[in-house]
Amino acid sequence: MPCTSQSLTVTAKPSSLGAVTEFVRQGALQANLPDDRIGALDLLVDELIMNVCTHAYPDDRPGDVMVTYSVPAPGELSVEVADRGIEFNPLTADPPDLTLRLEARPIGGLGIHLVKTLAQSLAYRREQGWNRLTFGLSARS
Amino acid sequence: MASPHNGKNSLNIERTQVSDQVLLIVSGRMDAESATEFQDKCEECIAEGHTGLVADLGGLAYVSSMGLRSFLAVAKTLQAKGGTFRLCCLKGLVKQVFEITGLMQALSVYDSVESAVLEGKR
Repeated sequence: MPCTSQSLTVTAKPSSLGAVTEFVRQGALQANLPDDRIGALDLLVDELIMNVCTHAYPDDRPGDVMVTYSVPAPGELSVEVADRGIEFNPLTADPPDLTLRLEARPIGGLGIHLVKTLAQSLAYRREQGWNRLTFGLSARS
Repeated sequence: MASPHNGKNSLNIERTQVSDQVLLIVSGRMDAESATEFQDKCEECIAEGHTGLVADLGGLAYVSSMGLRSFLAVAKTLQAKGGTFRLCCLKGLVKQVFEITGLMQALSVYDSVESAVLEGKR
């Protein structure tokens, strides 16, 4: 069975997140991901979209983010989040120190850690002006 | 009040008082847009002079890193004032997120509203 992909392009702003979440959930249905994976899927999409909203484009000139899903095999969903903003590989950020007590904990820095932990596969590439971050989720734990 | 944009992203916060603590009963989903509602609500309580806040997260189905930022910000603010910020009734994905990020240890997390409110009174 050929693997077809579906893409959605939205403006990279927080109010676009709802549409992207609904779109990717269609991919989860096609991949037959169980219900207990949907929370992780929503969170992965949320963190990656918000990352583009925050870092990719200048504040006064928001750009687009393109989200593409495909089902490479039954029970497997692959999602790519792509933007044409400044080159940024979120996977190279220093991991947060999770042992710090409250007063020493920075307010931010947890989004990418969640992505790295929840995604079953994760890859970044910079290609012809695009940041492309791809994650995979599987029905198998 | 539910978000007018997308009911799926709505956060509901009910405020009540238990003993000398303000209890915020939080339900729905906490993401970038709704996290500020929660932080504003806490800051409103703090501005009124309250320094003991408990947040019941039993009805919270989802929290993103933006929600975690607001929890950390409120906790730091209250700690600096010599107050307390306690979370309770975490479950499901929210509990998993707290475990992944080490916040079960960094924040004051309890199993029940009762244990959160009674802490320090024994």
